[in-house]
Amino acid sequence: MVKIKICGLTRPEDVEAVNRYKPDYVGFVFAEGSPRRVTPEQAAAMKAALDPDIAAVGVFVNAPMETIVSLCRSGVIDMVQLHGDEGEDYLNALKQSVANPVIRAVRVQSAEQIAAADRLPCDALLLDACSGEAYGGTGKTFDRSVIPALRHPFFLAGGLDAGNILQAIRDCRPACVDVSSGVETDGVKDPRKILAVVELVRNSEINFDTKKGRFGTFGGQYIPETLMPAVQELEQAYRHYRNDPAFQKELNDLLANYAGRPSLLYYAEKMTRDLGGAKIYLKREDLNHTGSHKINNVLGQVLLAKKMGKKRVIAETGAGQHGVATATAAALMGLECEIFMGKEDTDRQALNVFRMELLGAKVHPVTSGTMTLKDAVNETMREWTRRVDDTLYVLGSVMGPHPFPTIVRDFQKIIGTEIRQQILKAEGRLPDALIACVGGGSNAMGTFYEFIGDKEVRLIGCEAAGHGIDTPKNAATIATGSVGVFHGMKSLFCQDHYGQIAPVYSISAGLDYPGIGPEHALLYATGRARYVPVTDNEAVDAFEYLSRTEGIIPAVESAHAVAYARKLAPTMGKNQIIVITVSGRGDKDVAAIARYRGVNIHD
Amino acid sequence: MIKIQNAFEHGKAFIAFVTGGDPTLEVTEQLIPAMAEAGADLIEIGVPFSDPIAEGVVIQDANGRALSAGCTTDKLFDLVARVAPKVNVPLVFLTYLNPIFTYGKEKFMRRCAESGISGLIIPDMPFEEKDELKSVCAGYGVDIISMIAPTSHERISMIAREASGFVYCVSSLGVTGVRGKITTDVAGMVQLVKAASGVPAAVGFGIAEPEQAKAMASLSDGAIVGSAIVKLVARYGKDCAGPVCDYIRSMKQAVLEA
Repeated sequence: MVKIKICGLTRPEDVEAVNRYKPDYVGFVFAEGSPRRVTPEQAAAMKAALDPDIAAVGVFVNAPMETIVSLCRSGVIDMVQLHGDEGEDYLNALKQSVANPVIRAVRVQSAEQIAAADRLPCDALLLDACSGEAYGGTGKTFDRSVIPALRHPFFLAGGLDAGNILQAIRDCRPACVDVSSGVETDGVKDPRKILAVVELVRNSEINFDTKKGRFGTFGGQYIPETLMPAVQELEQAYRHYRNDPAFQKELNDLLANYAGRPSLLYYAEKMTRDLGGAKIYLKREDLNHTGSHKINNVLGQVLLAKKMGKKRVIAETGAGQHGVATATAAALMGLECEIFMGKEDTDRQALNVFRMELLGAKVHPVTSGTMTLKDAVNETMREWTRRVDDTLYVLGSVMGPHPFPTIVRDFQKIIGTEIRQQILKAEGRLPDALIACVGGGSNAMGTFYEFIGDKEVRLIGCEAAGHGIDTPKNAATIATGSVGVFHGMKSLFCQDHYGQIAPVYSISAGLDYPGIGPEHALLYATGRARYVPVTDNEAVDAFEYLSRTEGIIPAVESAHAVAYARKLAPTMGKNQIIVITVSGRGDKDVAAIARYRGVNIHD
Repeated sequence: MIKIQNAFEHGKAFIAFVTGGDPTLEVTEQLIPAMAEAGADLIEIGVPFSDPIAEGVVIQDANGRALSAGCTTDKLFDLVARVAPKVNVPLVFLTYLNPIFTYGKEKFMRRCAESGISGLIIPDMPFEEKDELKSVCAGYGVDIISMIAPTSHERISMIAREASGFVYCVSSLGVTGVRGKITTDVAGMVQLVKAASGVPAAVGFGIAEPEQAKAMASLSDGAIVGSAIVKLVARYGKDCAGPVCDYIRSMKQAVLEA
């Protein structure tokens, strides 16, 4: 396995980022004159916070040996990397003093020069580009064809980034890749770029091109064997019906005449004026039948279930929106329906429980784990393994095992398709930014998907930060999570050091989920979409703001998107356009918001 | 570490499961050698996980108890390193993929090999995702134990052909837990495994009574029991070794009669 070194850490935030994404090595640069130079004190503080599985490499240029020895002995660094003119004698003397492995850097000029370094008494080489008088760290690439066969393992450095690193590995098979400026934005380490490089390299040996259901390295089908035939049957059926004109016609008819599509794209004139910046449009998914975007996916999946000859549908729900939509579609199409909902959420959203029962569904309160959405998903998966033949799991978000993330995205992409047509009609051009809230991420994926190719359109997902991302009470997966495998998919998850899924929190039951769909993880890793945390407080303020300003009460989930738009719009020009997806209506949240504000409502 | 094959060399095998660290690591540490002594031919140690989606309530609760009592992957490896020299039967981990993935695949397998874990049962890593661990497991000589389910049908041959250690035949739909009766055509499943592979096949899920164990072992190379043992651990807590061992003796006797 090719290892990864992230060099030139300078800030506590950099340590936090590597602890999350776990490269094999990090580098502290002690060389005079380097823009990434740190003092022994700064390095000691960073090492104290560093995950013990990550080795710290001290990078030196012609340093006094006692400096290096002292840093090794005090445990601030685990390995030594020498970039100056240190020769055989220096290396021998250093090896006498400390047992730490030593990497000799070579500023590559010729095969002979590398071969000469290979004869030195070191443990590994580091091959970097040469640029005049500078001692390494130039951020430039070099001709890798000059690398001869070597006795020592070697680190490859020099201008590596997510765009070229796999080719570099294929070119010369290094033991480790060393990245510094390639994982920076504006001169500081960028957690997203670290994630992207680590994921690319970690998975470089598995050829995902031939794997189904992958979004980059994310996605997959990590589920019990009992369910594998069921997801494969679903995939086959979906592949057939997605191209079946009769199915599409039936679905489009339901979307138009039952769900009420297309949903409006409303110009929020008062809000625009009030914020004094970009022109704001609201995509009114709250106006759909059942009150949210969830109906788009559910009509598709329940129709699919019916075509597949299933008698029964089961689903998880957080806020109850997906549960209500599933119960609605099941009632319409004559299928049995059972909904699994965390006990805590059945309390928070009691009205939706009654609504589902009214629609003929059986609601099971889930009392395992944290009794919220994650546990509802666990229990729905368990139920599916109990009775799989006549039952389809109607998953509510762009998550879970393949093919669910693809199916749900396809059924939700109508949001973005309509936005494109409507905004072109209204403004004659595409928007500058799309903003949507993200839990698992279905309304955001539906909003973004048709615009992924339009690089000038910024895609912004708003995560639930609960009490704040610096507290444990949040559900902001991108801001605080790391790569894991859970609920059938490889993606980003809020979890601890041992991979135990974190008990997350948000005022919004619909965003109270410790993971994010795999396609979002890819959009984040590639930098195509940005994800921002929004706290409970900001969301509640936005909930009230939109109600008063436009007379539209948004779901508290959607209020997270509104909250970020309030920050972004004033920074943009009056000729620019933002579209916010209002994923659902807020009637269900009124009691909870009243409680949040200390008002006691008797139903 | 002891080869998994050894478990199947003393007649039909009785495979016993216990959740690591339930109710405490100390109890698990006493229990494992005692279970081996009582006749368990192979011991599955469950790595506790916050969200065990293939488990019924009994083992879910055991996972919760173990995590609340402070069990971690590191502590469990330390425990295995201490008990493995005392037992002469193979030890395997039953773990979800995320604890392996987060720990670091390479480091996890190295510690398996060092401490004496011979194989891994990973309920959320189906055949299609085996590449995730195949090469690193092979590098450390850790077997990946494949599972087949009542829904597997034509997948059984494909899975069995690449199986190592033994094939875990899931007797019933649903999650782990005690069942009144098993209605699946287990004999048919085992036949398909045998036609495709030379590795032993053992049957698990739902087995609690000696009669059930005998019936399942008569159709295969052994019976696997988890929830029934974990229930005893839950009931007797730190004094569970006696009841668990009595139970294992009766179950081992039953499979030998198969």
